[in-house]
Amino acid sequence: MDLQILLLLGQDGVTNGAIYALLALALVLVFAVTRVIFIPQGEFVAYGALTLAALQAGKVPGTVWLLLALGTTVALLDGVRLLREGRFRKLPPLLIFNVGIPLLCAGGLFVVPPTQLPLWAQVAVSMLLVVPLGPMIYRVAYQPLASASVLVLLIVSVAVHLALIGLGLLFFGAEGSRTPAFTEISFELAGAPLQGQTILVIVASALLIIGLYFFFERTLYGKALRATAMNRTGARLMGIPPALAGQLCFTLAAAIGAFSGILIAPITTIYYDSGFLIGLKGFVGAIIGGLASYPVAALGAALVGLLESYSSFYASAFKEVIVFTLIIPVLLWRSLTTKHVEEEE
Amino acid sequence: MRRQLPLAVFIALLAAGPLLLPEFSITLLNYIGLYAIVAVGLVLLTGVGGLTSFGQAAFVGIGAYTTAWMTTAHGVSPWLTLSIGLVVTAAVALFLGFITLRMGGHYLPLGTIAWGISLYFLFGNVEFLGGHTGITGIPPVSLFGWEMKSGRDFYYLIWLVVLLAILALRNLLDSREGRAIRALKGGAVMAEAMGINTPRAKIVIFLIAALLASISGWLYAHLQRFVNPTPFSLTQGIEYLFMAVVGGIGHVWGAVLGAGLITVLKQWLQDWLPQILGQSGNFEIIVFGVAVVLILQKARDGLWPVILRLLPAPSRQRAVPQAPALDRRPAPPAGTLLLEANGVTKRFGGLVANNNMSLTVRAGEVMALIGPNGAGKSTMFNCISAVDPASEGKIAFLGASTASLAARDIASRGMSRTFQHVRLLGQMSVLENVAIGAHLRGSRGALAAALRLDRAEEQRLLAEAARQIERVGLAEHMFDAAGSLALGQQRIVEIARALCSDPCLLLLDEPAAGLRYREKQALAELLRRLRGEGMGILLVEHDMDFVMGLADRVVVMEFGEKIAEGAPEAVQRDPKVLEAYLGGVE
Amino acid sequence: MFKKLTLAVLAALSTAALADINVGVSVSATGPAASLGIPEKNTIALLPTTIAGQKVNYIVLDDATDPTAATKNIRKLIGENKVDVMIGSTTTPNSLAMMDVAVDSETPLISMAGSAIVVEPMDAKRQWVFKTAQNDAHMATAIVQHMTDRKVQTVAFIGFADAYGEGWYKEFARIAEARKLKIVASERYQRNDTSVTGQILKIMAAKPDAVLIGGAGTPAALPQKTLKEKGYKGLIYQTHGVANNDFLRVGGKDVEGAFLPVGPMVVAAQLPADNPVKKSGLEYVTRYEAAHGKGSVSSFGGHAWDAGVLLQAAIPQALKKGQPGTKEFRKALRDALESTKDLPAAHGIFNMTPNDHQGFDQRARVMVTIENGNWKLVK
Repeated sequence: MDLQILLLLGQDGVTNGAIYALLALALVLVFAVTRVIFIPQGEFVAYGALTLAALQAGKVPGTVWLLLALGTTVALLDGVRLLREGRFRKLPPLLIFNVGIPLLCAGGLFVVPPTQLPLWAQVAVSMLLVVPLGPMIYRVAYQPLASASVLVLLIVSVAVHLALIGLGLLFFGAEGSRTPAFTEISFELAGAPLQGQTILVIVASALLIIGLYFFFERTLYGKALRATAMNRTGARLMGIPPALAGQLCFTLAAAIGAFSGILIAPITTIYYDSGFLIGLKGFVGAIIGGLASYPVAALGAALVGLLESYSSFYASAFKEVIVFTLIIPVLLWRSLTTKHVEEEE
Repeated sequence: MRRQLPLAVFIALLAAGPLLLPEFSITLLNYIGLYAIVAVGLVLLTGVGGLTSFGQAAFVGIGAYTTAWMTTAHGVSPWLTLSIGLVVTAAVALFLGFITLRMGGHYLPLGTIAWGISLYFLFGNVEFLGGHTGITGIPPVSLFGWEMKSGRDFYYLIWLVVLLAILALRNLLDSREGRAIRALKGGAVMAEAMGINTPRAKIVIFLIAALLASISGWLYAHLQRFVNPTPFSLTQGIEYLFMAVVGGIGHVWGAVLGAGLITVLKQWLQDWLPQILGQSGNFEIIVFGVAVVLILQKARDGLWPVILRLLPAPSRQRAVPQAPALDRRPAPPAGTLLLEANGVTKRFGGLVANNNMSLTVRAGEVMALIGPNGAGKSTMFNCISAVDPASEGKIAFLGASTASLAARDIASRGMSRTFQHVRLLGQMSVLENVAIGAHLRGSRGALAAALRLDRAEEQRLLAEAARQIERVGLAEHMFDAAGSLALGQQRIVEIARALCSDPCLLLLDEPAAGLRYREKQALAELLRRLRGEGMGILLVEHDMDFVMGLADRVVVMEFGEKIAEGAPEAVQRDPKVLEAYLGGVE
Repeated sequence: MFKKLTLAVLAALSTAALADINVGVSVSATGPAASLGIPEKNTIALLPTTIAGQKVNYIVLDDATDPTAATKNIRKLIGENKVDVMIGSTTTPNSLAMMDVAVDSETPLISMAGSAIVVEPMDAKRQWVFKTAQNDAHMATAIVQHMTDRKVQTVAFIGFADAYGEGWYKEFARIAEARKLKIVASERYQRNDTSVTGQILKIMAAKPDAVLIGGAGTPAALPQKTLKEKGYKGLIYQTHGVANNDFLRVGGKDVEGAFLPVGPMVVAAQLPADNPVKKSGLEYVTRYEAAHGKGSVSSFGGHAWDAGVLLQAAIPQALKKGQPGTKEFRKALRDALESTKDLPAAHGIFNMTPNDHQGFDQRARVMVTIENGNWKLVK
């Protein structure tokens, strides 16, 4: 193996690793705040990419209908409660967010054909269609179970994942999609071609990670989330409602997922069920970070990406065997070196 | 007896099934049985033991592939391959368990995902196992010339295994080893302090779950007569967990219920959705996912507890167990030096919790360790009982250094303790909780328990527990769930549990907290009696009246260091002690 | 578009009169093989509901690309719906899993899977199994022929890490070896992998004259796109599994120039008028595209159509010997299927024999290439 191949494989690994890292961060965030192992994280990747692809193909993406249905469900669930408690002032924002905006999106798609929009607007519309699904799913599926055990929340995650996979197949079909590249620029790096889109993925991921860092360090909401992650009871005492924290972090997770999908859609083909494996590898990174440390999670994710890239070169048939066998010692090492508090029954 | 009625009805219905039901219902029941066998293992592993595994499908695969390959390529009898499959599974499970069970927290589930995926792809890439395409032409199982070719023939074999597995598991859980397994979830710290070898207990349940999965795989291969890697993938591994959780992962029968419910729900959706929705899209999986979320929202502990409420109330065992007393260890004569701690220092990172602490306890005396909150008393306790070993210093118990010993080894030498934060298993009865203390006084293992060969010993252990409960004055609560008692009483249960191990040194961490005056008096009386019997007692307590009236000697700690030691009256007059208590208000 | 099917299902579930002919169908409409199974499922809805004056009910179930589910399906269809014949399943493992049940109940099974092991070697079990899809070997021979014609000496393979890729590699390697073609690299990838860079770099390092991509549907585009991106200049071959419009959509300009063998129906319109498959192929394409839109047809749907063609020819003969719903009828149907002669179908001409339950010959494959985003007949 010569240097050029080495470099190309490294580049490939880092690109994939960057996406895994983004997902790992989202998973760590969701787990720390809500104790949910968010398996459907991967579906947001697929939904983001495929919604954009559908817009570009001039079709109305099925996610619109899901958004409307979920939004109405949330509005009904919360609306009934608000009415019963007589908190009428809260009703308009609830309705606007959960029913109004989705309707506006849906209507807009029929009025302005999405193919005529510039690329950035298509991306924005896709995000607008997919990201609100995050908090809505939290409200409908997880919030009633907020105090359940990690295992039950995990099984709920699996069930949500299955439902979303089924919907994905219904909306987007079994065949995959690709979107045109954001940039056609191409470089040479040590004699190896380097696509501009690849750099874009890495740079955007890095920027997003830095952005998240500032969000957590500098903003009120970020600090509130961090507080909730560190001590749920304490945060509630300080006036941070856990439901709000949950919805907030699901919004972030959905945004990160959808954005990751949109980032990689030009360099690979995305299928309705692509999300699970991508999410799983992000999950591996997150676990290596102990579901607590963001930098270690990102490093772990990058490690998975590199492992995958090199093992697909050496023994492609055994790629998954190699990747998953090699992470066992890493897990063991991490487990033995981190002190974890015993979970009381 | 009424409790057994639903079970009897269930078995009767099962037995009559093939005579009454159409062919396809039998097919479904066969698959339900296969899934239930794996899910029962998960109840033990995850529901009872608290170890989440996504990798069970891989063990099913090992069982299935072993028999598929050996019967087709080498013509080995299926009955032989069953045992070979079990041996192979056991070897793989021991190896994987040895590595992954050391992981704690979320590393373990991911570890199981990792080897689950690895094994799946290995099946698909090994040439002689038929690769991804699979192995066909697996012969049916035959018994005395009777070929079990049809689903009806196989039905009885599958459900016999299911029932046997459930029976064995229920026996196991209701035994010495079973209590040790149930203690895993409540916290390894308590279990270890009671002398339970928790790593071994984990391996045992991991092995049992793997072997059950392997048997299910063997049955699958001969029912299906075709194997390929698909049914042994991570997806299926998740599905087994799914079944167990939806059914009720804390209950053996929940596994059967979950397996049945998930299978029937899927079938029902496949049958009826196209009619209801008027078209045949692929809505099954969507509705299935939503349905499971709803089920869990309504019954987060699974469906079996819901059904349990409809069944006749359990007739808890009411008879106080009677049996000859267990052998006691020879008690050291009064005045023997039991415990000697010298220069014990404990650091947590940069924080020094104990600095150069020294104390001794002799047989037949009550030694009290007092000091303001945060003085490091409980830390000292944890160092002595090796729950959290000291960073520096020497601790000797009965003249031998405990530096290299684990908590359970120290327990086996006759030291027992209670905890400042009560560590009882709330769902279990007081009797069973106390019997955990007697763990080291029995020896029967999991196999003996499953086969009910342990009853004589079990009766003696329970009788001992009952005696200790009577001794601490909680006889009327013997069969209540430990979690239902008042906190003060729970502390007393902890003392009974510690006494059950027949210790010569008893470490009590704030035993009188939360007790009423009368109860405190009774406790003091008990401790005096124990002292009279020659037991050494090391006591951490805040109630000064209680301590001063009881202790022979007192050590006072502040900021992790010893500031005074001596007889109660002398210590009470010590200016440093007065300052510590008056300066830092309690 | 689902109306017909729904009606059929409803009829089957509500009445299922004994005189009706019940056809059980199990396809992989979800799971990894969904892109193959969905057009098959759509095609079943186009099959005639009356054959020789008898009402035909199609009961379609999804097996989610899982052999266990496929077995459950066939047991259900045979046990509850009393089907006279089974069509299914999409993949080789699922078909193999269904085989035993079909034989035990003596119900003919028409598989749509690719690998020859579904019908070969002929034995007591496989007597009841027929297959409409061309054997992988059949297609692989065409590729090897095309390669040797173009003086290709070294070839690399990259395929799915599943039964499809595995089946193709086995057949291709066997035939290539016989024709003195040297396989210099053999790589695998997952259907929904996001990158195949590692595999492609390894292939390029081996400098093959040609690369064969053993994948189905849109996932087969990724290796070819990566080959192009990394500057590979040699010949690229695909398998008939990619023959649908989505592949062209996703592959775009990067898949231009790829060669692949397909059933004639894919390019039915381009076939010379004297081609015996032209008429039957066009018929299917027209019917399918009328229901699902222009360019929607795929080669997999054709296999389901051909199963229908086989039944339309065999059922009238079988009816002479027994009533639907009886053992005699199923046996007669099996015999009639086995004696199918010169039957034009979408993918070729069926000539079944007791030893060949696939029944296609050279006429069941043509080489095509991709030109300007369309399938173009070669020669």
